[in-house]
Amino acid sequence: MEKRFGCAMDIGELMLVSGAEIRRVEESVSRMCYAFGATRVDVFIITSSMVVTVHTEDGAVYTQTRRVTSLTTDYEKLHRLNALSRKICEGSVSVQEIEETVSTIRQIKKVPLWLEIICYAMIAGAFAIFFGGTLVDAAAAMVVGIVVRLCLFVAELVITNKIFGKFFSTIVITVLAFLSVKLGWVATPDNIIIGNIMALIPGIGLTNAIRDLFTGDSIAGLLRSIEAVLAALAIAAGYFLVVLLGGFAV
Amino acid sequence: MTQAEMIQVLAGFIGTIGFALLFNIRGIRLVMAAVGGLLSWLLFVLVNHVIPSEPVSYFVVACAISLYAEGMARLLKTPTTAFIITSLIPLIPGASLYYTMVFALQADMTTFLPKAVYTLELAAALALGVIVSSAFVRIVNRVAHGKKKT
Repeated sequence: MEKRFGCAMDIGELMLVSGAEIRRVEESVSRMCYAFGATRVDVFIITSSMVVTVHTEDGAVYTQTRRVTSLTTDYEKLHRLNALSRKICEGSVSVQEIEETVSTIRQIKKVPLWLEIICYAMIAGAFAIFFGGTLVDAAAAMVVGIVVRLCLFVAELVITNKIFGKFFSTIVITVLAFLSVKLGWVATPDNIIIGNIMALIPGIGLTNAIRDLFTGDSIAGLLRSIEAVLAALAIAAGYFLVVLLGGFAV
Repeated sequence: MTQAEMIQVLAGFIGTIGFALLFNIRGIRLVMAAVGGLLSWLLFVLVNHVIPSEPVSYFVVACAISLYAEGMARLLKTPTTAFIITSLIPLIPGASLYYTMVFALQADMTTFLPKAVYTLELAAALALGVIVSSAFVRIVNRVAHGKKKT
């Protein structure tokens, strides 16, 4: 039981880290534990920690906690974990089989840097046009997007804090946007900046936060909300810093 | 629909693909997430012709797209989040947020405050639509299956 319980915790932790909402993780862990033959399961999960206690038929009680430090968004992993958790709930899957599947899921590669760069360029260019920019604006936004992702890659070697990463990215975006105006490439920096901050705006964080809040996971929802607000403030701060120090007219 | 609106729908579609790739969505799920992004802005343009209020249109579209996401998630056996987060991306009020910052810098309260409130309204309408839809789906599920389903 102890080993199977550990498997359920591993799956839950990976789900949380891959971007699942709290309710999904809590329900999956609890269902898996019941499927393993627990008589009572108590689950408490927030975005930074998991605490789960299971009671077994022979009277044993196990508790495990996991500290979760960084949350990412990887829906391929989440999809596979979800499928695994369903399979476990439906019937008996051997511990060995679960462990093997979990380790294959762990090894799923992150999005490679070159693809991330293409994504950033796509997002920046598309949204520059989306919000009323010209093709030239879009082209400039794409170039800025590529440079920003590369700068962020270098910065990430030193900075691990996500919020600070957004602050730093916004500074780079704003400087490059005003530079493109100075060089006479574009008329206003607006669309370049808008296109590029779309990739930074905590839209995902906020949506997840509100979904958690309204499904009854208030603490997790509040934690996510605060993170989203901080991220928005970091973007604004980066922008203000450049405009004020650079003496640009807005 | 004007040409400008069509270009916007297309741009929103491409932007959504960018995000979906970034979030490591693969295969058929990538296609359906991108279609969601296309539908969300197309629907917004159409709804906005009937209902002139942008926040109200946001709410209606968020409801509809969340239902689409719930449906797709069941069909493709994957968590709903993957579709909700990506499909709603064109509705994220990025420009509104940016102009709020610009007006804040200009220290012009007559433009800043209304813009800030408007940005919040859009975000709230979006969130409300998602919540109403998922609550609806949960109730339907409970009635249909006699218990909750994940």
